[in-house]
Amino acid sequence: MSGARFRSLRRLVLCAGGVVVALLPALAPHPFVLSLATQAVIWALLASSWDLLSGYTGQISFGHAGFFALGAYTAAGMAKHLGLSPWLGLLLGTGGAALVGVGVGFPALRLRGHYLALVTLALAELIRLSAQNWLSVTGGPFGMYDFGTFPGLPAGAVARAQATYLLVVAVVAGAVAVMLYVCRRTRAGQAFRAIREDEVLAESLGINTTVYKLLAFALSSGFAGLAGGLYAFYIQLVSPTVASAATTSLVIGMAVFGGLGTIWGPALGALLLFAVNEALRFVGVVYNLVAVGLTIMVFVIFLPRGLAGLALRRQRLTVRRDALRAEEDAEPGQPEQVTGATPSAEDPRSTA
Amino acid sequence: MVLGGLYALFAVGLTLIFGVLDVINVAHGEFFAVGGYLVFAALVLLHLPPAAGVAVAGLGAFLLGLAVYPLLIGPLKRRLGRRPAGSLYLVLTLGLSTFLQSSLLAVAGGEYVRVPPLVSGILEIGSTGVSHQRLLVVTVAALLLAGLFAFLRWHREGLAVRAVAQNPEAAQAMGISLTRIFVLTLGLGAGLAGVGGALMAPLFNVYPAVGFPLTIKAFAITILGGMGNLVGALLASLIIGVAESLVVMAIPSQWQNGVAFVVMIIVLLLRPQGLLGRATSR
Repeated sequence: MSGARFRSLRRLVLCAGGVVVALLPALAPHPFVLSLATQAVIWALLASSWDLLSGYTGQISFGHAGFFALGAYTAAGMAKHLGLSPWLGLLLGTGGAALVGVGVGFPALRLRGHYLALVTLALAELIRLSAQNWLSVTGGPFGMYDFGTFPGLPAGAVARAQATYLLVVAVVAGAVAVMLYVCRRTRAGQAFRAIREDEVLAESLGINTTVYKLLAFALSSGFAGLAGGLYAFYIQLVSPTVASAATTSLVIGMAVFGGLGTIWGPALGALLLFAVNEALRFVGVVYNLVAVGLTIMVFVIFLPRGLAGLALRRQRLTVRRDALRAEEDAEPGQPEQVTGATPSAEDPRSTA
Repeated sequence: MVLGGLYALFAVGLTLIFGVLDVINVAHGEFFAVGGYLVFAALVLLHLPPAAGVAVAGLGAFLLGLAVYPLLIGPLKRRLGRRPAGSLYLVLTLGLSTFLQSSLLAVAGGEYVRVPPLVSGILEIGSTGVSHQRLLVVTVAALLLAGLFAFLRWHREGLAVRAVAQNPEAAQAMGISLTRIFVLTLGLGAGLAGVGGALMAPLFNVYPAVGFPLTIKAFAITILGGMGNLVGALLASLIIGVAESLVVMAIPSQWQNGVAFVVMIIVLLLRPQGLLGRATSR
């Protein structure tokens, strides 16, 4: 009973959040705010895509900056060198990143844990090196620019920022919804979880782990590429630094912050951490990465399930309180305990 | 050879940590950077003699490394208990890496720092000259590594380190404190990286992110040599160092850094246990 109440409460919070996100252009019609919000939403997609592969399926990737950069360079390059429409560029960036993702996933099927992380890290470094040195295509260290943006946007600065924001939010929301759908409602989602928990057991239960791991790679890297494409057309500059390990680190920080293995947690974490990051910019540019590093360390040690974990924990807590109350009901005369909908997360009885 | 010596100092420390703690230290390169900055502080700001500068750098990184276990890895280990860690340690040390790197950036600024050569002069061998600095790197690296191997071979604590690497439970049953060994190992690994950073500072420039590419390269070396295999790591360092120097003749030098990654991917595909590693079921 309490679980259902909690779920409806969560739905309410999510809906309210969604309304705020959708109405943001009307609430804060300032290009600067909207610009930050747009970037935050792009990061949310990247963090969710990382979570699909690493948090949900347990195949740790240290190379998501590589897929992101690949999507960005493909999308921008198609528009710049071949004159293709940005929409087509986005699709090709997504597809290209997904292809490379499967290409990495294939040999990486044999590798687990540490090894996979190291291979993906090396892949991202190779992509960064290529971006830096393949001057004729990527523009080298200065990056690629001057490749147009989404067509058909209104002309005024505010209207343009509003339209871009809505566009990006729509694409990202769609992509996150697809990932959530795949993970929650299809057999693939079950298979992903089974692979994460125990790959050998999953295989012995007749789950084709090869296919599902490749699927996870394809989805995850594809959506990372999509985020890259959005980033390219929004920021209007793609430089080799997007493929650097710092990007991966930031994404992992966001995912850990939000909560691994939930898809929506990392998206939320990305929005919040990005906001914190930008706020710290006013204190000093260098401190935002200090904060990211601290966040990762503190959350991994003390709250490995992140902010989403707080919610889950609360749910469990309510269940336990129900049990407690049932016991109390058995002994008449006890005053009914107040079960607020929001018990403190720091409740000493909650266990990690 | 100079590169090989440096890689050896670096990768052997990483391998040692992996062998003993089963943790891949993504923040290893940051200890290298710390060493570089410390030697800069000692030589340029405090005007200490070069040998003292290197000692300060090594000691500083060693002390910093000592703090890693009690502050980060220990708490996580305690919280996890017997549950599998998965990649949490990787993510944890990645956080440490980001934290140290950006802290260096905050303290020292993003500019390249130049460190004067520890020794000057050039040794003429035939038609080519080798600066004394480079010779120093190789010599000190060789001495330190010899010292490390001797320590692990004969010293009581060193034996304990090897015992823990082989079988933690049995070592514990013999009365070895695991925590003590873990702390010591991280300190040693970090100290080696710090000395490496100090020695190389005059050849590279020092900047906050100087260590990270090295970390990735050291992963490649570790994998080539076989995870947790110290001799393998030493051999692989020399191979990669020489290969990188030679490959410049064939391809443009800006691709030089790619060599290690390509080698790593090939090794993982063909012989995942590395050159000297035993086949294990992973």
